[in-house]
Amino acid sequence: MKNEITLQTRREFLRRTVLGSSLAWTVPAFLANTFSALDSAAADSATQIVTGKDSTILVVLQMAGGNDGINTVVPYANDFYHKARPTIGLSSEKVLKLNGEVGLHGAMKGFKELYDGGQLSVIQGVGYPNPNRSHFRSTEIWQTASDSQRVEKYGWVGRYFDSACGGADPTVGVTIGSQLPQAFFAAKPKGIVFNNPQNYRFMANGQATEDSYKKLNDQEMMADNVGENSGGSIGMLPAGMPMTGGKAVDFISRTAMDAQHSSDEVRAIAAKVENQAVYPASQLANGLKLVAKLIGGGLPTRIYYVSQGGYDTHTNQLGSQQRLLGDLSESVKAFTDDMKAQGNMGRVLVMTFSEFGRRVAEMRTAAPITARPHRCSSSATKSKLVCSANIRVSRPPICSKAM
Amino acid sequence: MLKPLADQDWNFTTAAHLLNRAGFGGTPAEIQKLADLGREAAVASLLDFEKIPDPTTNPDWAQPNPEEVKKYREAIRNGTPEEKKLAQREEQQLFQRRMVELRGWWLKRMTTGPRPLQEKLVLFWHGHFATSIEKVKNPYFMWRQNELFRRLATGNWTQLLTEAGKDPAMLLWLDQAQSKKDHPNENFAREVMELFALGEGHYTEKDISEAARALTGWSLEPAEQKFIFRPRIHDVGSKTLLGRTGDFNGDDVIQIIVAQPQAAKFITAKLWNYFAGQVPGPELNDALAEYFRANGNNFKPLLRIIFNSAEFYAPSVVRNQVKSPVQWLVGSVRMLECELPPVIVSWGMLKQLGQDLFAPPNVKGWDGGVTWITTNTLLTRYNDAQSLVEGSLPALNASDFAKKAGGGGGGKAMKVLKRMKMGGVPLDKILSTEQRADKRSILAALEVRLFQGSLNTEQEQTLREFLDNKTKLTDADILTTIRLMMSTPEYQVT
Repeated sequence: MKNEITLQTRREFLRRTVLGSSLAWTVPAFLANTFSALDSAAADSATQIVTGKDSTILVVLQMAGGNDGINTVVPYANDFYHKARPTIGLSSEKVLKLNGEVGLHGAMKGFKELYDGGQLSVIQGVGYPNPNRSHFRSTEIWQTASDSQRVEKYGWVGRYFDSACGGADPTVGVTIGSQLPQAFFAAKPKGIVFNNPQNYRFMANGQATEDSYKKLNDQEMMADNVGENSGGSIGMLPAGMPMTGGKAVDFISRTAMDAQHSSDEVRAIAAKVENQAVYPASQLANGLKLVAKLIGGGLPTRIYYVSQGGYDTHTNQLGSQQRLLGDLSESVKAFTDDMKAQGNMGRVLVMTFSEFGRRVAEMRTAAPITARPHRCSSSATKSKLVCSANIRVSRPPICSKAM
Repeated sequence: MLKPLADQDWNFTTAAHLLNRAGFGGTPAEIQKLADLGREAAVASLLDFEKIPDPTTNPDWAQPNPEEVKKYREAIRNGTPEEKKLAQREEQQLFQRRMVELRGWWLKRMTTGPRPLQEKLVLFWHGHFATSIEKVKNPYFMWRQNELFRRLATGNWTQLLTEAGKDPAMLLWLDQAQSKKDHPNENFAREVMELFALGEGHYTEKDISEAARALTGWSLEPAEQKFIFRPRIHDVGSKTLLGRTGDFNGDDVIQIIVAQPQAAKFITAKLWNYFAGQVPGPELNDALAEYFRANGNNFKPLLRIIFNSAEFYAPSVVRNQVKSPVQWLVGSVRMLECELPPVIVSWGMLKQLGQDLFAPPNVKGWDGGVTWITTNTLLTRYNDAQSLVEGSLPALNASDFAKKAGGGGGGKAMKVLKRMKMGGVPLDKILSTEQRADKRSILAALEVRLFQGSLNTEQEQTLREFLDNKTKLTDADILTTIRLMMSTPEYQVT
């Protein structure tokens, strides 16, 4: 990765936006090298790889609402399981066996295929001591990767941005949806959010309007003035509370710049790149289709975040979970096919997680935590079952600095 | 702490701040009226809203309807599979239509109703008790809860918490209706402490399980669609809650919780945050809590002292709150004197902007503040501004809304939407002939209307250039100017 381009600050990125933002996917290597050489400041600073062209990419997939993990990776051979779940327990013929102990929910044929192909790992029993039984606190714990005793201000992805992505590109993190997940909260917030690339733009009724919009929203002065302590950062807020100081408008100005600069790029890629696999028709599949296009188009993104909602249904759990897991499995399978066809499979890791699980016993209340299988899928991941004491994914969900 | 704002500081700017926060903003004339009244009278004119007649009528289905409940219940329970399916679908479509109507009903109260502070408080309580139709599934219950918030908007905390807890929507939302002696459900017991009244860290797991025991028996009478206490499933016996021991019932639980000093701190901080846009410092929070307790845990005196206080008008508070999507939409309509877009469009906008009324994302409600703003929602606000101003159709996912509205497919919905009258900004109403005479006075008037102040000089320059490049100034150009003003970071705060 010697020749990758690095940029030091957001401002620099924005100044060079014409070159910088197109670099990622169109500029030939020799030109990129020249660009890199010109940027002397970048050479010795902790910097971000501007292009994601050859770097590893993590796709975080949240199964939102608290998936019942025990009925997803099912300990079908375990008597306790069947005793605790006389009606909603899944019998051995209903699961896709991974070994003599556990099997996947019957709806997850795509996942089973990936597993058999050596491309899926299941990490069982992931949790933390003294689980907090509040849904929200539990969500916060997962999103910030803190232990249950400590409240962490920033999200785990956000902390990665802060420490390893000092660079300027707002598209280093992309969330498909309308809200920024707490995992992205950072001291210096990064990352863009959108669900439909076609609408991800300022719709102008003429060039003069468009130009004026750009000027009204390009306030370099503002961006400069936002320092560590300006309060212009959502990461600084205690969860759920608006800011305690600083100017709200500064934060919005930064977001406005990010929106402006990422909009053209994202739409160009989405229009240019074709999906090379057949996806099911679902919101999750649409999100993954978009991610695949953005990866294929070379957006310099290191972390994508998609979510699949609906796991919080309590009544008629069996039917809902069947449908949701089927959709998950088919969508991820299609996505991996797409990555393979693109030749990007080797550098993309998908990690699924759910923010809390369920008690083992059925018909109880509160929905706290038990097992919470995390699943990782990548060609580089050897299929295996891993216990919590020994989590190892061959390609860790951490992106590397320029080497 | 909490000293009144000095009289000489009461002016158009401070009056505008009051109306923006204690209401949804308004026209320059409305602000001027408040400025002329003087501070105390201005606050009273918003806060003592009982004195203002509100002619709004309720939706015709907003009452218990045992017959209807029975009809669907029987068809679903006893019918053939086809009848069952049909009844389910019919009920679902009926409920979806009512939810659309309900959203429109509430939005209308906010945009044109005579009691903006009451509606602003209903919105606060809705976010606080964050109950969603997604689980409650019954429009009448959602209306009923909304009306409860309206009735007790400035009332007593113990009463509000008790009534909200016993209201059908909450009984269903947090499963209290199913909580029995043998299997007490802890959801309401937990959230009443964690989210509604104390905050995390001010109770133990033991307090939750004991409160859950005491709360058993609070239940729902489904046919009559109201609260019922069922002694047979109530856990009689001694409980220990927050340091007190006795044979407590649900009402006792609420009283014991509200009696905690932390309770006053918690709710006053949240209210301050809602109106002032920031978390109060410890000293201010103590002062608010003390005043609240000294005034019998009643919200009206608390709100009066807040809206009169110098702290509320501090420079760090003014124009430093991110508008929620509802504030953005309702405020824009009020400031620009335009019509609220048809409910299906208004609802669609709010949903895309992240605030789907009657369907908060979870029990915690909307996070609010800067979390309203992402690259996506910001561009959507800028684009929705165009729809509002021009009266054009926004880029909504039509089929999604058609489905929710209980109608046909996307194409049909699109046709219906296209026929709808969207209003747009009436320029004759918001600009006088004198103001329209000159480009500079147009900009000045619009800045006062939209920001109650001015943009920075570079932005003003940009807008002047935009207008100067037009050889002949048309209405469309002025509308675009308004849209551009709304497409700034500055317009997203209030």
